[in-house]
Order: sequence, then C-alpha cells, then structure tokens
Amino acid sequence: MTNGWIDIKNTDMMLIMGGNPAENHPCGFKWPVEAKRTRNAKMIVVDPRFTRTASVADLFCQIRAGSDIAFLGGLIRYAIESNRIAKDYLLNYTNAAFVVKDGFKLPEDGLYSGFDAATQTYDKSTWNYEEGGDLSGKHGGGTHAPAKPAPVKDGKPSPPHLPENVAYDLTLQHPNCVFQLLRKQYSRYTPEMVERITGVPKDQFLKAADLFTSIRKDGDTKKVATIIYAVGWTQHTSGTQTIRTAAMLQLLLGNVGRSGGGVNALRGHSNIQGATDMAGIFEILPGYLKVPVPTDTGFKAYLERITPKSAKPHIWDSWNYWSNTPKFAVSFMKAMYGDAATKQNDWAFHYLPKVDRNYSWAYIWDDMYRGSVKGLFAFGMNGVAIGPDSNKNIEALKKADWLVVGEIYPDETSEFWKSPGITQDEMKRIQTTVYRLPCAGFAEKDGAFVNSARWLQWKNAALPPPGDAKVDQEILARIFLKVRELYQKEGGKFPDAILHATWSYTNPQNPALAEVAKEINGKALADIQDPVTKQEIKAGQQLPGYAWLKDDGTTSSGNWLYSGSFTEAGNMMARRGTEDPSGLGIYPNWAFSWPANRRVMYNRASCDLEGKPWDPSRKQVWWNEATQKWAGNDVPDFKADSKPKDHMGPFIMNPEGVGRLFVPIGAVADGPFPEHYEPIESPIENPLHPQQSNNPIVKKFKTDSDKYGTSKDYNIVCTTYRLTEHYHYWTKNNPMNVQLVPEPFVEIPAELANDMGLRGGEKVKVTSARGNYVAKAMVTKRIKAMTIDGRKTYQIGVPIHWGYRGIAEDEGKTAKTAANILSPTVIDPNAWTPEFKGFLVKLEKA
Amino acid sequence: MSQATLRVQKISGHAGSVPGEDTQREYTVCKLIDTTTCIGCKACEVACMEWNDLPFGETVFDNTYQTMPETRWNYWNLILFNEHEREDGSLMWLMRKNQCMHCAEPGCLAACPADGAIVQYTNGIVDFQQANCIGCGYCITGCPFDIPKMNPKTHRVFKCTLCTDRVSEGLEPACIKSCPTGCLHFGSKDDMLDLAGKRAKQLRDHSNFPKAGVYDPPGVGGTGVVYVLHDATNPELYGGLPKNPHVPLSVKLWKGPLKWLGNVAMIGGLVGLFVHYLRYGPKAREEEDLAAKPGGGKS
Amino acid sequence: MSPSEQSIPHGHVLRYNLRERLTHWVAAAAYIYLLSTGLAFWSPWLFWLAAALGGAQVSRMLHPWAGLLFFASVWNMYVMWARQMKYTDDDRKWWKAVKYYSTNQDDKMPPAGRYNAGQKFLFWGFFWSSLLLLLSGIIMWSPQYFAWHSLIAMRISVLIHASAALFTMGLFMIHLYMGLFAERGAFGSVIRGDVSIAFAKRYHPAWYKEIVGESSSPRK
Repeated sequence: MTNGWIDIKNTDMMLIMGGNPAENHPCGFKWPVEAKRTRNAKMIVVDPRFTRTASVADLFCQIRAGSDIAFLGGLIRYAIESNRIAKDYLLNYTNAAFVVKDGFKLPEDGLYSGFDAATQTYDKSTWNYEEGGDLSGKHGGGTHAPAKPAPVKDGKPSPPHLPENVAYDLTLQHPNCVFQLLRKQYSRYTPEMVERITGVPKDQFLKAADLFTSIRKDGDTKKVATIIYAVGWTQHTSGTQTIRTAAMLQLLLGNVGRSGGGVNALRGHSNIQGATDMAGIFEILPGYLKVPVPTDTGFKAYLERITPKSAKPHIWDSWNYWSNTPKFAVSFMKAMYGDAATKQNDWAFHYLPKVDRNYSWAYIWDDMYRGSVKGLFAFGMNGVAIGPDSNKNIEALKKADWLVVGEIYPDETSEFWKSPGITQDEMKRIQTTVYRLPCAGFAEKDGAFVNSARWLQWKNAALPPPGDAKVDQEILARIFLKVRELYQKEGGKFPDAILHATWSYTNPQNPALAEVAKEINGKALADIQDPVTKQEIKAGQQLPGYAWLKDDGTTSSGNWLYSGSFTEAGNMMARRGTEDPSGLGIYPNWAFSWPANRRVMYNRASCDLEGKPWDPSRKQVWWNEATQKWAGNDVPDFKADSKPKDHMGPFIMNPEGVGRLFVPIGAVADGPFPEHYEPIESPIENPLHPQQSNNPIVKKFKTDSDKYGTSKDYNIVCTTYRLTEHYHYWTKNNPMNVQLVPEPFVEIPAELANDMGLRGGEKVKVTSARGNYVAKAMVTKRIKAMTIDGRKTYQIGVPIHWGYRGIAEDEGKTAKTAANILSPTVIDPNAWTPEFKGFLVKLEKA
Repeated sequence: MSQATLRVQKISGHAGSVPGEDTQREYTVCKLIDTTTCIGCKACEVACMEWNDLPFGETVFDNTYQTMPETRWNYWNLILFNEHEREDGSLMWLMRKNQCMHCAEPGCLAACPADGAIVQYTNGIVDFQQANCIGCGYCITGCPFDIPKMNPKTHRVFKCTLCTDRVSEGLEPACIKSCPTGCLHFGSKDDMLDLAGKRAKQLRDHSNFPKAGVYDPPGVGGTGVVYVLHDATNPELYGGLPKNPHVPLSVKLWKGPLKWLGNVAMIGGLVGLFVHYLRYGPKAREEEDLAAKPGGGKS
Repeated sequence: MSPSEQSIPHGHVLRYNLRERLTHWVAAAAYIYLLSTGLAFWSPWLFWLAAALGGAQVSRMLHPWAGLLFFASVWNMYVMWARQMKYTDDDRKWWKAVKYYSTNQDDKMPPAGRYNAGQKFLFWGFFWSSLLLLLSGIIMWSPQYFAWHSLIAMRISVLIHASAALFTMGLFMIHLYMGLFAERGAFGSVIRGDVSIAFAKRYHPAWYKEIVGESSSPRK
C-alpha cells in the first residue's frame, strides 16, 4: 500500500477491483465502510462476481476475469477526454511532459518497438526519454538531438540508461511527450471497446467512469480517490501491468501521495508484506536490493548496475533516493558477514549467490518436475494445494529425493504420495523421503508481522508450542548449524559463505527474534557522527534510521527499510500509542511503519507546488516558511530542506523524481504503457489486435504436464478465490470454520445452470486442460452471463480451500482434489505470479 | 447468566408479583444492526460460538453462503443471505444477522408455563433460565421470529442471551465486539434509535435508498435489537423478517380468552356439580334403596 | 374373562369384566396424572402441582408418555365398547328426557341399554378428545429438528390441546360426579366388576333384559 488501511477512511471515492476486501480483509474493510459512513464516500466494485464487497458498493460492474487493463485503460481515456485530470499535479509530479525517443512505437499491432520474435523479448533501447532540454513548440521532426549510438565499452554496448538531462515539453503538446503518447495509447480504449473486451455494458462503464472521475469535476483538486486491489489483479499474466495502469490513473487524477488516495495492495497473508520486504523472492535481497547476477564481476560493477543516476529535466531537481544504494548494500553485507566483509574483499561480495536465471515459484516446481531440483523445504506453505497445476507439483514431488515439511497440520504437500488417484502399487514406488517437522502456530511465536500498510507490528507468543513442535527459527538455526558443522568438518566446494556468516545470537540453537530484529534494524560498528547535527552514535549502538547507513563498513543493517524499527529507545514495533493528533488516522506512535515510520508514501505530492496541501482539511505535510523545512502530521517523504521553488520531484525513489506514466527502459518487461492482452486461456481473440492476442513475452511451460486449453474445447471462464470463512488450506482442520462452510462448491450463473438443467447442491464437474474438479454447484444470480466480443460467455468461480487432508476430507466427505488442479502454469513476466484468476474450463453434471 | 446487576421485571409462569418490577431506574439496552454495512463475514457467528462455548454442529452445503437454514439451539446468531433483484435490474445481496430480538413484550415469555424459565431483566434483556425450563416448547410457538430452539437431548430451549454475562459487567455483547465493519452497535435504546435514524436518513439522502428506515416493530412493544434496512417497507426481503410481528394469535387466545373461559368453566363446573348434589343428592341414597324404588325390584 | 370365571355374589350381575376394569383404571390413572401435570402447565397458580409430582421437568417428560398410555387405554376401550356405544333411537329419546335424568327422576327415563346416551356421549367425547390430544400432543412433542416440524401446526396444536383437554375435564368432572356421588354402586362396578340386579334394572333395564335373555340361568 502506498497509504494504509486506516487512511482509507479519508477517501471520497473508492475503486475496489481485483480484490474482495469484505471477504478476504474483513477487519481492514472497516475503513472503506467508515469512509462511506462519515464522508459519504462512494464505492465502485468491479469484479467477475457480485461479492460480499459488492453488496455494500454504490456501483457494481461485472467484469470478465483478466480484462482489467481494458477497463482501467478506458478510465484513463475517459479522464483525459472529459478533462477530469489534475493538471498541475500531472505536469509537475509525473513524467507527462517528458519527451520519449523518436523510435518508440505504441502497440497498435500488439507489439512495442524492439520486439524479437525468436527470443520473445524486447530490445528496450527505444523505451527511453529523449535527451535535451525544453522542446516546447519544437515538434517538427528532427528538431531534437539525434539518438546517439550506445557507447561501447569492452567491445559490448553498455546497457541503455536514462539520459541525465531529459527533454521535456511543459505545454504537453509535443507528439512524443509522454502525455500525448498516453492519450494516443488509450484513445483505442473506447467505451465500446471496453464493452467488447470486459463485458461491462457501455452505459454501466460510463456510469463507473463518470463516478470515479467525478472527484476532478470542474477542476476540483480537493477530493481524493483511492484504488484498492489484491491478488485478483496480480494473479494474471498481465498482473504487474494492471497495477501500473491503476498507478497511472491515480497519477493522472493526482491521487498518489495524498491522504485517502494511493494505490493500495491488500496483502492476503498476515506477513506477506514482510516476506517480500525480507526478500522472499529469488531476484531481490532484503530491502529490494537487486540480487547479484553472473555479469556482476565485482561489488563495484554490481553497485554500478543497481544504483540509478538521476534523470530529469534540467530545470527540476531529483533526490533519487536509490543513489544511496551503496550504503544499503554495504550495511547489508556487514550484517550478513560481519568482520569477514571488508573493503579489501569487496565486502565479501563473492559470498553472495549470483542468480543466472528465473528461480521463481513456477520454475522451482518445473525444475523439480524435470528432475534438477532434488529436495524441497516447505515451511508455512502447502505447495501442492497452492499450485498452479497441483498435479504437476505432485508429479514433481514424486521425482524428488526428499521433502521437508514444517507445518502444524498434515497437509496435501506432506502427503502428496496419498493424493487421489495414486494406487497402492504406485505409492510403494514413490521413493521421496518425507520429513515432517511439527512447527509452532502463529500464536505460539513472537516476532513481527508486516501488514498491508507496511506496519511492523510486534506480537508476543500467547502460549508455548505443544509437544515436540518447534518455532521456525529453532528449526532453521539447527539445520544451519548442522550444515555449518559439516562444512567445517568436510570442507566442501565453497565453505566460506557458510562459515563466515554472522551468527552471534545468545542462543545460537534458537535465536530470539528480538535479537534478529535488532540485527535487521542495524547498528553502528564504529563511532559515527552526523556532519550537520553533530549527533553521535557510539559503536555497538542501534541505528535510529536508515539515514545513518554508511558505505564504508561502519554500519550494519539487515534491511535498510526496517532501520528505525528497533532503536536504542527499544522495540519500535511494539509501540501501541493511540494518539492521532491530526485525526487522519496516522497514529505515529503505533508500531513502526517503513520507511522511517512514514504512513503515507510520496506525501510531498499531497501539497501543491508551493508546498500547501491540496486539501487544507487533510493536512499531511507542508512547507514551513518560518523554519524553511518540511513539517507534517506524517513524516515528510521528502528532503526536509528542499525548497518548493527548487522543484524537487515528490517521487524520490524514481531517478526522475516524478511519477512514471511512461516506464522507461526495462523496469517492466512488456511495455512502457500497459496494453490489454488476453489471458493465456481466453474465450476470444484480443479485439485490439487479434494477431497478437496474448502478452508477447509470456512463455508457456513445456513439460508434458503443461497443457493449455483453447476456447474450442473449453468454453467457460473460470476464476479462483478465497472465502471469508476459510483461510487458505489450514482452516479445513478447524471445526469452527468447517461448520461455517462445510463443503467445496462451484459458483455457477443461474442462467448457465438453467441451460444445463443443473440445480443448486447437485454435483458438477469442472474440467480444464489439466484436470478436473468435482464439487457441489452453487447456482446464483450473482454471476451473470456476459457478452464478450459479441459472444455470450459464462464465468464460474471456484473457491480454493479444500484438498485431501482436513476434518471433512478425512471423514471422506468433501472434494479429494485441490482446486488448483485446474489452474495453468503460466506466469506474469514481471512478478512471476501464476495466472490463477482467469483460465478456461468446461462444465458438466457429475 | 450472571445476574449480579440484573433485576427481573417479568417472569414466565409465575404466580404473584415479580421482584424487580418497578424497582429500578435503568435504561433499556439495545443492539443496532445496520444491514447496509453488514458484509456477512460471520465474525459475529464465530464470536457467539466462542464466547458462549457452544458445541459445534454439522452443516451441509445448501446452495448458499448462509451457514445453516436457521438458528439452532447451539447456534444463536446466524447471518441470513438473500439475493434480491431491484426494479432497475441491479442486484442486492442482503445480509441480516438474525438472533433473538429481545422484544419488550416477549411472546416466548407470555407462552411459557414454567415458573422462571424465561425472564426479562429491567434492562430489557429477555433471558432463558435453562434450569427452570421444562422443555414444553411453548416459547417456540410464542416467538414471532422463530428464534428459540430446543436441544433434542436435554429438552431445554436456548437462544441468544444478549450476552447477559457480559452486559451485566458493563461489556458489549460478543457479537458487537467482533464486528469488523462497525455495522453492529450497542447502547441504550434511545441512543441506538437516534443512531439508526441518522444512518437511515444518510442512506435516503446520499445513497440510492429512498425507502431506507429503521425496524423497531411496535407489535411486540419494540425490540431490543433494531435494524437499519435499505428498504424498511419490505423487511420480508431480509430472510422473512416479519413486517408487523406480534405475539401469535394462538398464544394470545390461549393465554387470554381460552384461559379465562377454561378457568370459569372449571370452577363453574365444580360449583355447579356441588350445587346439583346439594339440590338433588344421589340418585339412590344406599344401594339397598334401589330395590325399594319403583321400577326396581327383587328377583 | 367370561362371567363364569368370576364369582358373582348373589343378587348381582357382572357389568365389567377384568379387562374392562383394568383398562378403566389404567386410563383413570393416566388421566389423573395428565390432568394434574396439564393443570400445572395451564396456570402458574397450579404450577405447584408439577412440583408435587416430582418437579416440572419430570412432569413435562412423563406427560406425553402418560398421554400415550392414556390413548392406548382409550383405544382399547374403543375396541371393547365401540359397538355398544352406537347411537340408537332410544338414545335420542334419552337425550330428550335428560332433564328427568339430571333431576333424579330415573323412572321417567326411556330404558337404557348397557350404556345410556350420557355414557355414550362421555365415551365418544373422550375418544375424540383423546384423538385430538394425541395428534396435537405429538405435534407439540415432536421436536423442531424433525423435518416435518411446523411452527403453525404447533401453534394450532397448543390451542387444540388446551381446548380438548378442557373439554375432557368437563366430561371427567361429570363422570366422577356420577360415578362417585350420583349413582351409588357405579363405583363398585369398576372395582369389583358387578352391580346389583337392582342397579342394573334401575339404570340399564334394557341391558338387564338382554343379559337375562342371553343367559337362561342368571346367577341369583
């Protein structure tokens, strides 16, 4: 979330799309309700199904799963055409005025410039800004500097980079300026086109568009709209780009950085935000530092690659906060390797693994399926049930040598060898050794959860784990120590990275999480001093925040973003202050919010150019003339003494300093502007460009288990989701939850059920190219037949919560297969998220 | 059933006056359920089960999100889900938390023959005292909302207590505590009606619900649970919430005219027979007299 | 039990055989229990009756079972007596003359058979009331979790049950009055089984004629 849960209460308008917070985040949903109740805020819900969120919405649009970009693109077009945009914000806080390179081509035919069909990749060199100064009024061809050839170094062209002095046109008239390109790109997303692609009738779409953009009616700059989403957006091959489209819409309307605005991802697990922050992904290190790759020949080269240089119009300023990357990276290396990381040895850079290719979720299972991954640690997740393509995952586990499962219940993964369809004979042939480690449940552990609002909230253990169950850190520590012992004894290929890792916990066998948290926060390794304030921090003391991090080895920090969470003053995450002086729900003394206890990110954008809040009734930060500093109810997300007249951009994490409507070079893999592409399994050809229906760079997997269906054989769009009554695959072990929703079901439009002669409660078989799933039918009016590109199309919904282990499952009462037996292994090319939310099936009575 | 600060103002099946009647200056407590902000998350259902330590029961999928068709003796709080199509074709998914309404004039209490099995406290809570319940099920017939349910094994009847044990200690009922959206409120009846009225007005003025209103049916003397409805003219849409609930005619007849008629007839009959005996005496004084009577005779 | 198996004192005839007497007393015991417990549920002022009978819960628990027993005995009576309880023209005459009966001018009554019309009314009154009580009682007894449970049926049943019970109470009072007070000798007939010939001749002359005619040598 750019903002936070509580901040939603400050909004005037909500677009909830790709998420179902009433069901999946019911506690957080109090804030949207609060906004309705106290501000008469309007709520628009766009979803494939009429959900419990929709039940309290002011307007509901039923959309075809996987067509969100078309809807949002239509909104962008509507906002521009009806002039309901925040002009000053757009001009000054986004890259609308930046001029893009001449050779850049929009995807009228489905492809951006630079596509290489053979490798299914883009050469992104044209996805860049033009170099030069003010180009206003100069939009004849060739008036600006010709594109320079990329400088050649060591015989290889260096990768494209952003120009330091970006060309711009503050009149926004230059045909190649971002705003004009944006307008052109989405001019194709007419209400008629939106209807053809999404199935939302034109008049309904226009109603939604009018309502959402009404906050900028007649030049109003006070009102704010928020966009709220969850995995209904991310779990598509267009996931990242859908979120980008939302961000662009919010930039266009001037809603980012403002209280009651922003682009707000609702995280589906209590600590999924923390998992991401702490690098639960193969391609990043903690704090979103990029992971080293084989071409990073040394630490310097690595830093050069990952540290951006500011790129902006010369008349503006840009803080480019990521220029501090070396400080974060060196401090991280010191936290990892302590004294073993020295300037002389490149801060032990060679200890870090260099990631040569994609090792994301789907690839791990693909590798295991192909036999190259021999073992798996499965902690706190149920890989078989999670899928996609549960059968492929089961097959993969059959080929593994060993599997370690740390869980609180026996689950589908730890008992993959008992999955439905496996015969006694086959069971005997499965040679995978399964180790089941009883783990502690969430209430039996202390530590911090990071919520959607980026708050690190410390919690205490409520009770000790039962029996032999152990907390995760003890299991991990004991495995690590054992491995290290083996390396000590036997040497091995590369023992240093293991032997020199710091492990200075009071109880090495079971480190206290508070100790780990302190290590993550970071400390001074030598006496350090702030050159301006002369404040001093002694060696060994906890750091008050990431501003203190150094690139000379005098500080350590496990994750720069979390710096400030455990200071000399104590555990900031355990704070429970309920003061809220501004009434904006900032609660500065409650827990710790990264970054720097800031509750709304980019909050400089909540003020106009002079530093005055757009809406004086929602004062987050402001420029204080008297002190010549930024002040605020929230922590200003800005250089404290940067005068408004210096025109420093509020989006300090971008080298441009401004929000990106156009994403240059390679920050996203599949295009600087989002384009609607059909899901890999789609009922129609893309009406925008039938010859390029799907995302051109999305690659299908190629094992014999990876099958993809077409609309010829599978005529129904299927989406998967969770219910409020259950939590993933755990609560089928809890009698209370089982009582609330005892059995799996499939939600089926009443009209389709009528066609099939199917009644509610009867069994129905859902079949995709990969497998079939049998459950009872829930016949409902809440999903309606849709007209997609002129064709009558049905959507169905499958909740995911069941499998073959659980109370009812063990009694032989419910479905024996996991819902994800249906979903395809195909992933978003930016975030590698599988397409769980829109694929094709057929339906039969069972 | 802590009664530390609770006094009884009405008792079922009780001869004579009630100890707490007219003794306390106390406001009536009330639960406000704003159906327009209910998201059917069932937190209240779980909280009710947890706080009251109710045993789990079996449920079966029934083509709905609703946990079970109706409340049970061990399931006092149930959200009813109803799909409704408005005239303009738009869909509404109405969710109403159903539980005991704590009527000011409780039909269950009126119908109950067992001394002290049902009481009404001076704060308005209607509470079942299972120790005194005889399991006749008359309360079930007396309730216009079909709430009390009998445990088939013990033949005791149960329903929502409005968490008397919590309320008597100054806490809100468990369901209120658990509600994440704030669609549930708890306080004095006056305050809740005020809040409900304002919310209904907001819905009329700012949302597309011109018929929004408050449900506090006068037929049962008003209820200790009031609803805000999108359409107060059609409470039946919300899982058959009766438009004008009242103590059922059968209970009224039985407890009213029939009871008087019966009493009069019984006493009248006894008196009549006694008078008859005084006036006419036995048909024959002794068995031997039979012989002397005309028409009789010895063989 | 045939008359020959029971010794009848001189000047008496057998009116109720053992089966009939047993049935009567089972019904009587059940009815009195039902009446006491029922009255306890009828009015708070009589709730003490239930307490006296072992507590209200026990009363509530046993009441339906006693009801079944009562109905079983009534059914048995039906089997035994239904044919004798048929309404005849004589009964209509009897009803026309009932004021003489109630004022002890039995000699002005048309001759009654084994049962006079009043007794027949009592019988049928009890029979139909018991049927109603049984049906409404079962509906009230039948727990909510039965699939066929119906709130409306239950509400109607409560009314029917109370009304029918009230009706039987009226019958019961008259029956008791007649048996205990008005017709001396009647009580003995359901204890010992026999009545004096005088009793038979006086109250049931037609019946007496019938049994005398039937048996050539009535016991004397």
